[in-house]
Amino acid sequence: MGYGTPVSTAGRDEPHVEVCQVGLRFGAREVFRDLNCEFPRGGISIVMGGSGSGKSTLLRTIGGLQRPDSGQVTVAGDAVTGGSQAEVYRARRRLGMLFQNGALLDSMTIRDNVALPLREHTHRSEEDIEEMVRRRLASVGLEGVEDLLPGELSGGMLRRAALARAIIMDPQIVLCDEPFSGLDPPNVARIEALLVSLNRERGLTLIVSSHHIASSLRMADQLVLLQDGVAISGSPDRLAQSANPRISDFLGPDGRAHAARLGEAGDSP
Amino acid sequence: MSRLFQKLGRQALGLIASLGSIARFAGAVAIVVLTRPWRLRSLSRQVFDAGVLSMLLICASGLTVGMVLALQGYNTLTRFGAESSLGAVVGLGLIRELAPVLTGLLVTGRAGSAKAAEIGAMVTTEQLDGLRMMAIDPVDYVVAPRALALFFAMPLLNAFFIFFGIFGGYLVGVEFLGLDSGTYLASLEGSVDFFDDVVASFLKSAIFGILVGLIATYRGYTCTPTTEGVSAATTSTVVTASVCILLSDYVITALWGV
Repeated sequence: MGYGTPVSTAGRDEPHVEVCQVGLRFGAREVFRDLNCEFPRGGISIVMGGSGSGKSTLLRTIGGLQRPDSGQVTVAGDAVTGGSQAEVYRARRRLGMLFQNGALLDSMTIRDNVALPLREHTHRSEEDIEEMVRRRLASVGLEGVEDLLPGELSGGMLRRAALARAIIMDPQIVLCDEPFSGLDPPNVARIEALLVSLNRERGLTLIVSSHHIASSLRMADQLVLLQDGVAISGSPDRLAQSANPRISDFLGPDGRAHAARLGEAGDSP
Repeated sequence: MSRLFQKLGRQALGLIASLGSIARFAGAVAIVVLTRPWRLRSLSRQVFDAGVLSMLLICASGLTVGMVLALQGYNTLTRFGAESSLGAVVGLGLIRELAPVLTGLLVTGRAGSAKAAEIGAMVTTEQLDGLRMMAIDPVDYVVAPRALALFFAMPLLNAFFIFFGIFGGYLVGVEFLGLDSGTYLASLEGSVDFFDDVVASFLKSAIFGILVGLIATYRGYTCTPTTEGVSAATTSTVVTASVCILLSDYVITALWGV
């Protein structure tokens, strides 16, 4: 296992998203230094790291919202960096993104927010759109909130409504920026279950930034740990049992408990 | 000395970069405004917001400006025995100069700053990034209807300002100072030319609408995504747009005599 080189994924070989040699600075601060990582197709990858390590920036770079100084990001073979705006928008059709604060348009109802991509990119009838929105909201456990404004929802409900909007166009890849932050344990469990079911039932590739270690170890197929501008990738089992003190320190008691469970089960990564 | 030149050079380069950036932004807005889909529902909502909701302010301001103009004009004209020209003084002063400029400044303060703050808040809460991730261009969906709304609303508000200004002048001149009603209206009618004065006033107003619309949306769109950034964008909108209105008023008047 080494810095800057992806080690292994969780049995899904084909990378859906590739980040190659990405460098990025904000003024004097170096965020990424030749960052390399791959995100397997149909897997759940959790991007972890301390505050300011670049988790959200990595997701924004994959989504084409942040242009790196160097390197390349490809999503399902399409270059997100260095391409024209049309190419970036084409790549984004394959992507959905759940922002930390939902990023729902606060002047529109939940119905209009979730329906927005359908109205913009399809020629479906209003009845069809209404039905799709209702079903999608029901699939994330939200019913009867269609006419409310985003400001009238709780944090957990807002996150689920934003997730409904992120998946309404059936993307292949969903980027989730800190989906658990600021939520109480029942809501964390609920969002976690939702994300796992999306991955298992729809085969979505999920790339999640989080520093919620317990849930990350439970749900991830691959962990990508960002430290000092580079990435250390591996399965949760492998990273939990790593002898590297920086990794074990970061994973903390949850990581040690995970490693102990693996030891008791005689499981080796 | 060389440090002074370095500083001046840096500032000049910064100014050129800003001008380039706003020109590119204006180009992007122009492209989406001229191409389909035209977001008429969103545009009408924005015109309502910038126009109808500013009407009370504009009508009240027009009325008081017209009243003051009549009072000042009457006192001056009486010295020369020319009080019968009060209608012309109030009408021409309002139509050619005061109505478009003051409407521009008032709309900048009320609607321009609000547009900048609204878009700035959308930047801060990642709503524009949310649109980008849905492959929706925020310039098309958010910026263009707001910028265009000011272009449409400004001449309409200018018309209300003129109407209430002339009415205010009539109230003071005829009702309070005892000028003959027919004299006031005849002087007004005889001095104001529809194309040279009225149409030109609306053109001036439309140009101010474009300026305020672009400056307000640009400042909001490019603001630093913090509370302080939104506040700075709002302040900067009012200052920049006000200065641009006054400068462009001079240029338009000097070049075309409007």
